[in-house]
Amino acid sequence: MLENLLTAFGDVFALHNLALMAGGVACGLIAGSIPGFTITMAVVLTLPFTFGMSPVEGLSTMLGVYVGGLTGGMFASALIGIPGTPSAISTTFDGFPMARKGRPGLALGLGLWSSFMAGILSAIVLVFMAPTLAAIGLEFGPWDYFTLVCFALTIAASLSDGALIKGLIAGVFGMVVAAIGEDAINGAERMTFGIDTWRSGFDFLPVLIGLFAFSQLLSDLRDKEAAKKPMLSGKHAVVRMEHLESIRLNFVHWITVVRASAIGLFIGLLPAAGSSISNILAYDQEKKASKHPEKFGTGVPEGVIASEASNNATAGGALIMMMALGIPGDAVTAVMLGALTIHNIAPSPTFISTQPKLAYAIMVAYFLANFMTLAMTSGCLRVFMLVTRVPLYILSVVILGYCAIGVFTLNNVISDIWTLLLFGVIGFVMQQRGFPLTPMVLGVVLGPVAELNLSRAIATSDDLTLFVTRPWALFFVLMAVFSVFFPLYQKARERGQRWSLYYGAAFMASVAVPLIMMGGWFRTGLGIALLLGAAALAWRRSRHTLTAS
Amino acid sequence: MNRLNRDTITAIVLLLVCGACFWQTFYIREIPFSTMGSEVWPRFALAMMFVLVSIYLVQSIASPPPRVEGERRSVRAWVSSYSSALWCFGMFFLFVLVMPYLGMLLSGILFVFVTQTVIGRRDPRSLAIHLVVALVAVGGMWAIFRYGLGVALPVGSLFR
Repeated sequence: MLENLLTAFGDVFALHNLALMAGGVACGLIAGSIPGFTITMAVVLTLPFTFGMSPVEGLSTMLGVYVGGLTGGMFASALIGIPGTPSAISTTFDGFPMARKGRPGLALGLGLWSSFMAGILSAIVLVFMAPTLAAIGLEFGPWDYFTLVCFALTIAASLSDGALIKGLIAGVFGMVVAAIGEDAINGAERMTFGIDTWRSGFDFLPVLIGLFAFSQLLSDLRDKEAAKKPMLSGKHAVVRMEHLESIRLNFVHWITVVRASAIGLFIGLLPAAGSSISNILAYDQEKKASKHPEKFGTGVPEGVIASEASNNATAGGALIMMMALGIPGDAVTAVMLGALTIHNIAPSPTFISTQPKLAYAIMVAYFLANFMTLAMTSGCLRVFMLVTRVPLYILSVVILGYCAIGVFTLNNVISDIWTLLLFGVIGFVMQQRGFPLTPMVLGVVLGPVAELNLSRAIATSDDLTLFVTRPWALFFVLMAVFSVFFPLYQKARERGQRWSLYYGAAFMASVAVPLIMMGGWFRTGLGIALLLGAAALAWRRSRHTLTAS
Repeated sequence: MNRLNRDTITAIVLLLVCGACFWQTFYIREIPFSTMGSEVWPRFALAMMFVLVSIYLVQSIASPPPRVEGERRSVRAWVSSYSSALWCFGMFFLFVLVMPYLGMLLSGILFVFVTQTVIGRRDPRSLAIHLVVALVAVGGMWAIFRYGLGVALPVGSLFR
């Protein structure tokens, strides 16, 4: 491990790589600060530049954009009350009131330092947890991996903000799109409709840029009058950060930093659940845990810290999932998986053992990106804010042009730009009709992985019961089933339906079964503890119900 | 066109897509000795999609979402609401169409300039800004990819 870490340090701290990362962080900060632009879009647009780079350089640059974007999202949230990115929604709740009270520098400083601290915490967890989780991943057979992919798709759909069916449709549609073209296993041509350029299938990049960037840009342009105005204006460019006070308050509220980081990490570990969820969840939990919840929303430091710490920590969790199991923890890591495949590196549980230098380079780059973001935000805030004075329509059209150039560089064929347009239209229509795009991208990325593992499973044994009798496969099947029913459970709980009281207990008891089946003292013990916990929870709920009636 | 209709129409279009793709799976070549035929996976995915879209269709008919107050329902209103996006798609379509003839640089500059002018402001100052932005942004990007990254971008048959 130490040798790999040292090699990774050498690669990441190479002058050329440092310059690329600094550029990436700057782009992330700018993109994050523009309301309507998402971090995923920024990372997707970086991808074409990375074709000519080594995997370490490419991923370091993308990590720079990712971490920079997570922090950049707070600028607009705190200064004008409009979230720069979905990951900074809850930063507006307290950051904006704080800025309106005349402390914009404190709001930005709190956000910056809590982002930094959470980033470093999650980087430490990443270094220690990823190899451990990867060791577990090596136990997976094709049955387990197939069911893991199914779980990733179902949870992505179930977290799609009240649009479970639409999320599932989007995920399966992504799998269908990925199946078009030459079959990777047998080499047969599939569903090409006689179109020559579809024979080799759709490349990941035009599909991704079309879905995320194209559709997002055009959605932002719907409000014609708003698109003609500068995104930010006036006095905000001269804000000075209150660093010392921000550092002090972060240490005073260290429990908030740790709690929000833990929530962010956990959400990052869930396949496809990103920082847009973690920031709201962490804010909500912080409010519940606070002695003065009524003050939340008026500009309290804990509100800003919880939001910003959680969204940055999510990146660490998402990277753990990506490196340990080959499953993207969020949309950005889905793009990174795509970048790895462009460099002929197959994402799988063996990634850390087969590509240790690259894996550790990612960890070191993530550490470094947090430091770079801190330094660049402190020094160049005014410069980043200048971009937000450009009217949205000018920026959007320029980026559309850039999308075309970037996509062309992949294979040097114009047909890729047609693919970009096709998926731009599909993404735009889907977005307007309320279909979430993340499950679709996961379907595109994970569809071939699922097919390959299903094929391997069938080739190994014709016993289909293995999909539910192998402990890990059963574990992921149960997780998938419970994640599908999760939105129904939420609705039932709101309506006070009785069965919802026992959902948590049923989940714990169900998950305990495969854990006990796995054997070994730790997993068996954990399984038994979960069973006991489930029984206690069910008993408490039933007593509570009896008392209430 | 109310929201019920839109959801229902979306579901019907998706069912048609499912049907067309399923029909295409009958043209997949059979591979002898393969453990899992090449048509199995797409059919499996399409079957799942069919079931999900059917649920979506039933939902859209059984419990239509409430109409938004003040929502305009004419085709004209729809076109007006999406005019910027429609212009962008149309201009992008033309941009890709003329690219083999004019090349990436010229067609890109034209695309950026014309699209900004169509969807944005049209006073003389804005037109000048659009022109400068188009030249600098597309020209700069073209130069980075052409000379910095060594990518051979389309020159255009008219200039060969």
